[in-house]
Amino acid sequence: MIALLLMGFGIVALIQIPSLIKKQWRRELICFTILWSIGLVLSIMIAVGITMPPISTIINHYITVMFGT
Amino acid sequence: MLEKGKISSFQLSVLLAGFVLGSSVIIIPGGDAGHDAWIAIALGLMEGLFIAWIFTALVTRFKDKTIIEINDLVFGRILGKLISILFVWYFFHLGALVLNDYVHFFRLQLYPATPKTIMLLILMLVCASTVNRGIEVLARCSLILVPFTIGIILIDTMFLIPQIDLNNLMPILDVPIGNLLLAAHSAASFPFAETVAFVMILAFLNKSEKGGPAVSKGLILAGLVLIIASVRNNAVLGPMTAAYNYPSYQTVQAIDIGEILTRVEILVAINFITMGFLKISVLLYGTVLGLSQVLNLKSYRPIILPVGILMVLLALTNVGNTIELFEFSHNSYPIYAVPFQIIIPLIALMVVKLRKMPKAEGGKP
Repeated sequence: MIALLLMGFGIVALIQIPSLIKKQWRRELICFTILWSIGLVLSIMIAVGITMPPISTIINHYITVMFGT
Repeated sequence: MLEKGKISSFQLSVLLAGFVLGSSVIIIPGGDAGHDAWIAIALGLMEGLFIAWIFTALVTRFKDKTIIEINDLVFGRILGKLISILFVWYFFHLGALVLNDYVHFFRLQLYPATPKTIMLLILMLVCASTVNRGIEVLARCSLILVPFTIGIILIDTMFLIPQIDLNNLMPILDVPIGNLLLAAHSAASFPFAETVAFVMILAFLNKSEKGGPAVSKGLILAGLVLIIASVRNNAVLGPMTAAYNYPSYQTVQAIDIGEILTRVEILVAINFITMGFLKISVLLYGTVLGLSQVLNLKSYRPIILPVGILMVLLALTNVGNTIELFEFSHNSYPIYAVPFQIIIPLIALMVVKLRKMPKAEGGKP
């Protein structure tokens, strides 16, 4: 599973990074790398079974407490 | 300008109608009003038209500018960027919620054993590919898909005429007025006012002055289709409508033309795939274009794939289970969406009017 993930993320990086380096778009390269890295870390965490906080459920909880819906 | 494409007002109307139909083709709004759902949808459409007037009046004042650039001009650089980030979050989160609707529907009704990730990734790849080709391609896709979907809904309705019992809609205005208004607001927040995502697209209209009428036409077209679908569902299923999670799917299951034409409910799923694709693409487009403008990037294309992956990850972890998704959509979403759909655009419009920011001429204040 992790190997598949790494392969998928590797392909995404191979599609984007060479063209960004060629165009010398540093800012775009940094943004891409940050977003790509967040995605990779979160995917690995999900793949190894770490439970993420369910954001909509948390929002639902706070809105229910605040407005009593 | 990050986007060089231009779309016509007709394309905008059709794309907007497709966006509104989005997940509404399976989850018809106004369900809380029972058999008066069609009245709730009509009232919700009116609220939606008012909200659309707010954001179109704001965006069309500034020619060729998206809400992100307008926020910078109206609220100043720092506050403007903060508000822009809120909008980007809303588009991103809404995209993940539509992906949730998509995956939960297919897991419950059609593919119980297929992993969620595979379904989400396949859809996201198509959406990312479309967004990568720009707004013109997305608008042209809608010209093919939306008439197809509306055609299927109307044909389904015609095939259901033998099963329709209009007595199921009686008595009219049976629900207490408070509940009806709540259902109407719920119908406005999902799906009509979600068209606030078009604040990222109105800038690419070839004739900006036609933005308001184009948005209204799209909303009314989608509203009429939803009213027809709602009347059909309630007239066929009767009081059982409330018992189903996806009433349209159940209703179309009832089609039986001489025991030859049966089990055509897959058409509802096809409608949901095509309209869901349009909605997710518009939201992904809004997210990546907005984020690129907030971060001053030269192009939005490099971040489409990573943002798409993050949207899929949010969809996977967004809610614990289907019940939590329905609870969020039913109880909290009509409140959660208010700041993004009404309050922020309304404040921005008031500031623009008070500061007498000029109507266009390049949008310079």
